[in-house]
Amino acid sequence: MRIAKIGWFLVVIVFLFTTAFVLIGRPKLMHIEIPSNFPQPVYDLKRNPITEEGFELGRKLFYQRNLSRDSSVSCGSCHQQEAAFIQAGHDFSHGVDNHHGRRNSLPVFNALFKKTFFWDGGVHNLDLVPINPIENKLEMDEQLDNVLRKLNRSPQYRVYFKNAFSADSITSKEFLQALSQFMAAMISANSRYDRFIRNEVVELSTAELEGLKIFKVKCSHCHDSDLFTDGSYRNNGITNDFRFDKGREEITLDVNDKGKFKVPSLRNVEYTAPYMHNGSLETLEEVMDHYNSGIKESPTVDSIFRKRDGPPGITLTDPEKKNIIAFLKTLSDKEFITDRKFSEYR
Amino acid sequence: MKSVALNRIVVLLISVLFGNISQAYCQNNGKLVLKFNNLFNNEVLEFGREYTNAHGEKLTIKTLNYFISNIKLTLTDGAEYVVPQDSSYFLVRQNDKATQQIELKNLPKGKYTSISFLVGIDSARNTMDVSRRMGALDIGGEAKGMYWAWNSGYIFFKMEGKSPVIHDSLSNNFYYHIGGFGGFQSKTINNIRSKTLAFTKPVSLKKKIPVININVDVATLFNYKTPVTLTNDSNVMWGELSVKISENYISTFNLGSVQY
Repeated sequence: MRIAKIGWFLVVIVFLFTTAFVLIGRPKLMHIEIPSNFPQPVYDLKRNPITEEGFELGRKLFYQRNLSRDSSVSCGSCHQQEAAFIQAGHDFSHGVDNHHGRRNSLPVFNALFKKTFFWDGGVHNLDLVPINPIENKLEMDEQLDNVLRKLNRSPQYRVYFKNAFSADSITSKEFLQALSQFMAAMISANSRYDRFIRNEVVELSTAELEGLKIFKVKCSHCHDSDLFTDGSYRNNGITNDFRFDKGREEITLDVNDKGKFKVPSLRNVEYTAPYMHNGSLETLEEVMDHYNSGIKESPTVDSIFRKRDGPPGITLTDPEKKNIIAFLKTLSDKEFITDRKFSEYR
Repeated sequence: MKSVALNRIVVLLISVLFGNISQAYCQNNGKLVLKFNNLFNNEVLEFGREYTNAHGEKLTIKTLNYFISNIKLTLTDGAEYVVPQDSSYFLVRQNDKATQQIELKNLPKGKYTSISFLVGIDSARNTMDVSRRMGALDIGGEAKGMYWAWNSGYIFFKMEGKSPVIHDSLSNNFYYHIGGFGGFQSKTINNIRSKTLAFTKPVSLKKKIPVININVDVATLFNYKTPVTLTNDSNVMWGELSVKISENYISTFNLGSVQY
């Protein structure tokens, strides 16, 4: 009997110790709320759960200039929060040695819901996105293994990685997962439109409501769902000179994909000028005029723009253009672009 | 009653603690080694040495790497043994002898009649998150230089070097970077090639560890189904010709002797 008692005691002790070991020093899970008007996430959070330590480390890395060859630019240089994480006022972003990139930088928010990344959809998993700008000669011109070497030399970063991933040395896995955690947590879903659509008592003006109605008829075929993109690749006739950039064709090598680019989300569009893959339109008014009368003809121009007669385009009257723009501005998420959680300095 | 319950718990604890160890002891320890011998025109390949291809073009080689993955073996009774996928990715590099020998462990006992593998990485793995890209697949580690960032996917086969037939403005360099897993949303180039090699005599794991020599004569890259000349095509990466090249090089993977 006595042996049995001691036995039970031992069992309880062992149990308590294991539980304590598992719980202490474990990074704290961060609550990520999926907006009710959004589809389910694409990125598998079970394989990389967002923790407070991981997110904070990801934020540090996002603004870390050491990620570039000469420590001149960080991810945040071309993805600035006040511009909804694009580079304000730049058609092409500046990389190291003042090189210019080839395409207009895309915003980073709502990455959790994206199936593919970049204008040509060349990357299929959020984890692999950062390698692209890091190793691009015109952007950060660095090598992933060298970034890891730099981080491993920093006693500070070693502590951050230890806390977030219990990692003794920093490898691609933890480095990319930390950046994914930061980017995956960047959800922008609190615009006036969102509050209106979720019945959170925000009223839209007559012009905005009218704009929404026209948008549903004339724009939502491509700018679909509350992500405001269907994720497809289309030629919207912004140019018909593809010598410099063939778009999706560079990935598929299919001539039918010549000049096709990913349909971008329209969320925060008020903050993300200039527009289009080549940054050639500076205002939303110019964008409206483009679709109405500026589409440049080429064999792959999307069939959606084809009319029975006349040049391709979407017929829009002046009041319609105004109302659509009024509606587009309801997609601005002020809270997101001012949230200190995502800011470089806090 | 109590002590019966206690016994059970103690047994359970012990089995949880030592389960892994006992499992390792009980498992079959069948080992087999695949040895990749890189050759040029039947001679042992050496970096920097001058060779002449089937078109009479002289060349030297400075890089040769390729991925071997998804290894399967067939037993005499027709049963197939698939090496667990997570431990079935290998990067063979000419500049690192250790990578040229792949040791397979824990194979079931028996006699084997053939082996098959991919030269390249299956499409599923090419689209997975970073937690499933460790070891030979680590882009910031072992797989450095064997991955395209802009067009996400592994480079399956990489051969680089110099030839006097290539213009000085290109520093006489040639580059063959062959990859392409078939595409994610739309169909793209697929250069995943599989090879099955049947053994002349069944290979038994009873004796010493068998070493299966696989000869890879890269001279074939220039001339098998499709002639490829350094004069016309010295830089092949993402393009239709890469398919012809992968068809050429897959034929270079041939069975050599089996040693014990």
